Parts: sequence; C-alpha cells; structure tokens
Amino acid sequence: MGVLAIRTEGLSKRYGSVHAIEDLDLEVAEGEVVGYLGPNGAGKTTTIRLLLGLIRPSAGRAEIFGLDCQRQVVEAHRRLAYVAGEASLWPSLTGAETLHLLGRVQGRVDDTYRDELIGRFDLDPSKKVRACSKGNRQKLILIAALMTRPELLVLDEPTSGLDPLMEQAFRHCVHEARERGQTIFLSSHILSEVEVLCDRIGILREGLLVEMGTLAEMRHLSALTIEATFEGPVPDITGVPGVSSVEVVGHFVRCHVRGTIEPLLKVLAASGVQELLSREPSLEELFLAQYGASSESADTPAHAS
Amino acid sequence: MQAELAVGRPASEGRWPATVVARQTAHKAVRSGVLWGYVFGAYLATQALAYASSYKTVSQRAGMAKEFGTNAGISALVGPAHELQTVAGFTVWKCLAVLAVVGAVWGLLTGTRLLRGEEDAGRWELLLAGQTTRRAAAAQALAGLGCGVAALWVVTAVITVVVGRSSKVDFSVSGALFLAVAVVAAAAMFLAVGALTSQLAATRRQASAYAGAALGVSYALRMVADSGTGLDWLRWVSPLGWIEQLQPLTAPRPFALLPIAGLIGVLSLFTIRLAGERDLGGSTFPDRSGSVPHTRLCSGPARLNIRLMRSTLVGWGVGIAAYGLILGLVARSGGSALSSSASMTRALSRLGAIGAYAYLGVAFLMMAVILALVAAGQISAARSEEAGGRLDHFLVRPVSRSSWLAGRLLIATIVLVVGGLLAGVFTWLGAASQHTGVSFASVLDAGLNVVPPAVCILGIGTFVLGVWPRASTVATYCVVVWSFLVELMGGVVGLNHWVLDASLFHQMAAAPAVSPDWTTGGVLVAIGAVAAVLGGTAFAHRDLKGE
Ligand SMILES: Nc1ncnc2c1ncn2[C@@H]1O[C@H](COP(=O)(O)OP(=O)(O)OP(=O)(O)O)[C@@H](O)[C@H]1O
Ligand SMILES: [Mg+2]
Repeated sequence: MGVLAIRTEGLSKRYGSVHAIEDLDLEVAEGEVVGYLGPNGAGKTTTIRLLLGLIRPSAGRAEIFGLDCQRQVVEAHRRLAYVAGEASLWPSLTGAETLHLLGRVQGRVDDTYRDELIGRFDLDPSKKVRACSKGNRQKLILIAALMTRPELLVLDEPTSGLDPLMEQAFRHCVHEARERGQTIFLSSHILSEVEVLCDRIGILREGLLVEMGTLAEMRHLSALTIEATFEGPVPDITGVPGVSSVEVVGHFVRCHVRGTIEPLLKVLAASGVQELLSREPSLEELFLAQYGASSESADTPAHAS
Repeated sequence: MQAELAVGRPASEGRWPATVVARQTAHKAVRSGVLWGYVFGAYLATQALAYASSYKTVSQRAGMAKEFGTNAGISALVGPAHELQTVAGFTVWKCLAVLAVVGAVWGLLTGTRLLRGEEDAGRWELLLAGQTTRRAAAAQALAGLGCGVAALWVVTAVITVVVGRSSKVDFSVSGALFLAVAVVAAAAMFLAVGALTSQLAATRRQASAYAGAALGVSYALRMVADSGTGLDWLRWVSPLGWIEQLQPLTAPRPFALLPIAGLIGVLSLFTIRLAGERDLGGSTFPDRSGSVPHTRLCSGPARLNIRLMRSTLVGWGVGIAAYGLILGLVARSGGSALSSSASMTRALSRLGAIGAYAYLGVAFLMMAVILALVAAGQISAARSEEAGGRLDHFLVRPVSRSSWLAGRLLIATIVLVVGGLLAGVFTWLGAASQHTGVSFASVLDAGLNVVPPAVCILGIGTFVLGVWPRASTVATYCVVVWSFLVELMGGVVGLNHWVLDASLFHQMAAAPAVSPDWTTGGVLVAIGAVAAVLGGTAFAHRDLKGE
C-alpha cells in the first residue's frame, strides 16, 4: 500500500471543557470512498476543519498524502478540494466570477469539465451570488471543488439544500471521481447517499470513533432480520441461540438473529414455515442502533453547526 | 449569532409579540446611545471645566476671544465662534461641530447596523415570521432607533446640566438641555439617513458608504459656508449647518430645529415607504447581474480585495482630495489669524511656522484621523472576511495564512501612502489657487507625515486580529477615537503627558507647521511593523474564528 490519503494519530480537539474530537485514529487509503457519519455535534466538521488546517489540534496530528496538515498546508491543499455544507461566498460576484476566482486560486482547472458540470447542475453562472438560492450557492462550491479534479475530495454535508435531481447529479459526479481513482471523504446525514457511494464507513459519537469498516463488515457484526409466516401456530423461538426481539402477530413472526442462523433454521423448518424472508439491516438501522434512541432525528440534515 | 437568537426568542414570545423588532432595535440602540452619551457628556464637561480653569480673568478671556473669534480658517474647521469670552461660547465652539460629526458617524453606523446589518444576518426573517408587514417592521425599527437617540440625549443632558450647576461654568438648566439637543441632533439626522440608505443599498457596507457620502457632502458645504467666502447661505443647505444655526447657550434659535425635524420626518417616511416596496434582503437600487463576467480582478485574494474595496477606496480618496482642497483654499485666512494667537505663536515661532503653515499644521490632524479610519476599515474588512467564512475558500486552497494577510496589509499600506499623497497634492492645489505661497514640497511632506500613525494603527489592528480576533474591529476603531479625543482635549486641558503620549496623533509632528519628524514617523512605522509581525504569527497559529 502506498502513502495514505488521510491519516490521523491521536487527533484531539477541545473547546474549553467540550471534547469535540478525542484521540481519533483514522486511515483512508488512496482511491477509497469513505463515509463519515455521526449525530449532530459528534465532531465531523471539527475533524474536517482539523484536516484542512483551519483549526489547530489540542493533541495529535493529521496528515494528507503524508503532508502535515498544519505545517505543509499549501502543498497538501494543492492536492485536495473541500466543500462545506454552508456556502458563504462573495455576494457581489457572479457565479462565473466566483468559479474563475476559486479556479485561479487553486491553480489548475479542467475548463471543459467545469462547463460540463455547470450544465449538469443546471447552474446560471451569470447571476450574482447575492441573488442565488441556497441550493444554487451549494452547487457553485460543489462545481468549484469538482472542476479541479483533485486527488482528494473532502466533503462536509455537500448536498445540503440540493433537490433530489441535483443530488443524483452529485452522486454521478462522485461515481466518476471514484472511477478515476480520486479519494473521497464524505460526511453526510443522508444515509442512502453514503450507503450507495462509500466503500467504508466511520461512525462518530461524541468525538469518539465508535465504528469503522465496510458496510458488509458492519452488517456482519449486527443482527439479521428474519420474517417468517407459518401455516399453523408460531413455534416458540425465544430460546434459540442468537435470536432476540421476537415479535409475533398471528401466524407471522419477526426476530433478529446474531451470528449463525442455523439453529433457528432448524426450528423453523420443523414447524412448517410457509414463507421466509431474511433482510440485512439497512445503514439506517445500523446507524440508529449505534446512535441509540436519543437521536431519532439524525436522518434530517443538520443546519448550522 | 446563536447567542443573538437566544436573546431574540424569549423577546418574541413576550407580552407584545408584534413589537419585537422595535424592542430588539431599541435594546441595542439604547445600549450604544448610553455609552456614547457618557463620551459626549465627558467631552463637554472637560472642555467647559478646562476653559473655566485655564482662562480665569476677563482679560485672558478677551484675548482668547480676539485670537480665535474671527478666524475664518478655524471656523471652517469647527464652525464660527460666538462669545468666546464666556464659558458657554467657548464650550459650544469647541464641542458642537466636533460632537456633531462624531454623532453623525455614530448615527449612520448604528442606523445601517441595526437595519441593514440585522436584516442581512437574517435575524429579521426570524423575528418577523409573518407577524407584521415589512412596512410596520421598518417603522418599529425607526422607533427603536429613536429610543437610542433619546438615551443619548438623556445621558448627555444630565451630565451637561450637572456640570452647568458648577459656579465656574454656570449654564442655565434650559440652556444645558438645549445644548444637549443640538449636540445629538446630528446623530438623530444621520440615524435617519442610515435607515434610508439601508433600504436603498444591497449590503450594509454599501448603505454605510452612501450615508458616509451624505455626511461628507454636508460637512464640505458647512465648511465652505464657514470659511468666509461669502457663501454663508450654504449653511442652510447642510444638515451640519442647521446645527450651527441652533446657537445653543449663546443665542438659542429653536426655529432651526424645524429643518432638522423636517429632515428626520421626511427620511423616516421614505424609509418606511421603501421598506414596504422591496423584498426582505433586497434593495431599491437594482442589483445588476452581469452576463459578461469581469474576471480581471478575480484571480487571487489580493486582487479580489482590490475589487471589493474599489468603490469604498475611491470614496475615501475623493473625500480626502476634497477636504485637502478646502483646507488649501482657506489656509490663508486661517493662517493670518492663527499667527496672531499668542499661545500658538509661542509654540510655533521657535520652529518658524507662520500663517498658512501654522493653520495647515492644526488642520492636518483631521487628515491623520481620516487616514487612520481608512486603516481601521481595512482591519475590519479582513476580520469580516474571516468571520463570514469567506476566508475559508482561500485557506482550503493553496494559499497560506501569511500570504493572505501580507497581501491585505501590503494593499492597505499602499492605500494609506496614496491617501497621504492625495492629501498633500490637493491641499497644495487649493492653497496655490489662492496664491497662499506654501511650497509644494512642504505640503506634500505634511501629507506623507500623516501616514505613519495610520500604518501604526494598521499594525496594532493586525496584532489584535491575531490574538483576539473577535475584538479586532472594535479595538482598532477605539485606538483611533482614543488618540483623536486625547489629542483634541490635550491641547486645551493640559493632560498628563503619559496620557498624551498614548495618543498616536500626539506623536505626529504638526506638519507643515513644523517640519515632519521622520524619526518619530519611523518609530511609529516600526511599532506597527512589529505589531503586525506578532499579530501575523499569532494568526498563523490559531483557529479560524467565526462571528
Ligand atoms: N468554535 C467552537 N467553539 C466551541 N465549541 C465548538 C466549536 N466548534 C464546535 N464545537 C463543539 O464541538 C462539537 C463538535 O462539533 P461539530 O461541528 O464538529 O459537529 P458535527 O458532527 O459537524 O455536527 P453536525 O452534524 O451538526 O454538523 C460540538 O459539541 C460543538 O458544540
Ligand atoms: Mg458539521
């Protein structure tokens, strides 16, 4: 394996008594697409701002392509692009002027790709930023980041304010970027987006990385949902190894199974099962299980952080 | 912002939810008004008491009145003098014009902040939430601003009345109250001006710039009217002229309140009307959307900075040039009277300053203040780029913090030097047109002489930006105001030399009355540079901070 796109070592950030990020060890390989999840205030934005050198860590260090995020900012930033969830731009510039400016500052721009993106996101670049809606501003900074074709894309709730059509366009762009071998670090509250796009997922809670792995690995660790319908009465399966949260409605039963399902299958087969359905947990279920009941609203995109 | 919202919520759920805008605006305006009321009161009190104790005998006072009373140049600066041989006359002469300008600046900044600024920040949307119309909201905000003026007046009036009770000063209660009215009248008028430009412009900065231009024109008209050019009637065209016509304490003329009240009324009506006709967050003047992008100045942080500051800087440049021109025009008459002033002559004769030179030496203090305000404005703009999150767009790209800051400081320094040169050149043009006989080199030097204090302000501002970003704008303007007030008062009151030395303008030689002291200038620049380097280092090693 070559050099890592992102590497943090014991990265911590304290605001007074608040531990926004604690002892974070994160590794993202080149070419990987990593989703970064967590409830509001978990520390996602803080992590990203640390990676970008916009704030200083209280302890630990972070590297981007082996370049120190605090001391070699300029070199590191040549190779990445960043999209924030809230775009405060210069109100008096037009879209085209803003793109020109940000492109020139970045240094290299793929002009044809930029024009393609403008078309794809259906942006009117002659409008002043002041007159743009929130979604259109968001498109503007998305295009500004994508048009430079960076080796690493750092995205913090990049689709906040985009309509479903534009969100689809965004997914398409991320797909393309991934095909080309660009690394993507995506923080988002839209779980379906993360589920579709990401190779690996990290879940953050109160500044701690509580889970990190592929979706398959995470599913493996968590319970499978089994739904079965019987001709006759439902057998008692509460004692079967690995089975939990059994719900019985008439001839129908739903339960979770952890680990191997063999013992359960045996019981079911012996009781004349008519229909059997097994379902892997969705990311949403994994996520809610991880967050606990206290953050039911986690799926709605956050506003200001 | 979150703190503000936290304040806003309970208020909107108060007993009269429909008046929430009025209460919010009043809350902020009154706080600021009370604070400035203390400043106004303290300034009035110091001047009155200082005169009473420095000029004790009738003959001293008569001498003083003779020196300054008929001087066109001085009266162009601070307005004409009436009855300088009395404490009342002196206090009015020394305070009215100065406090009118300070009050006008306070008014226009407060007006645009509480109307346009709050609206731009999106707080009105939250407060309104469909409870009132735009028109009613604007009326409420104006009422809130009115409370601010009332607070300013009450504090100023109380201090003036109390000082007036002193046997040395001896103002009648009604006289003191009317003096306070005159002193806050400019603040009231320019609050209304700021409220109106808040409707016309698309941003707070633009609104302040329009209102500032109105103040500049009004000051220039008043200056011409008072410079003995026979154009006295111009005084009736300028809001600052009306304030002079009030002649508080010496010969009160309450009827001059009519145009003042009329202006406030008309501006308020227009404000309410325009507010109803535009959208929340919109402007009355059309906001052009260009189909042709102007990308020449959109290629980096520094050039963008030039582009965004362009109109503001041109405004300042025109202001400096116009002020210089007027100073030059009146320098001759101003100088002839100054050189008959015993105390001035004593101070200046050693250095051989006479006539127009001496006058310009005094008047260029104002130039130094203008340039220092330009410097403070640059710090404020840098801070707002950071606070607004726009700086992020540069710093997440291959731009280092130090290069961003250095670019801004370089441009700011060039702007200051150009400002100094403009001051010198245009003053000379004005003077030369009157055959005043001042040399080009000496006036140009005087122009450059006001640059070092401004550069020092820039450095101090950068230092605060580095170590305490959220205070940087306020702290920088405070250094300017402090330096100005200390220097203004120091001349008459005989302040402790430690206090005087803490005024940057006191360090500056009064060129062209005396030749510029380039060593001190160099020291000021060096202090600024060291402060800037320290601030820059701190800035490079801290978190970026939002609002
Ligand atoms: N400048 C700051 N000062 C004080 N505390 C802060 C600051 N910035 C963030 N925090 C705190 O750090 C914690 C993490 O915040 P962060 O913005 O990283 O969360 P997040 O995961 O991005 O949340 P969201 O999903 O809402 O965007 C929060 O508790 C927040 O209150
Ligand atoms: Mg966030």
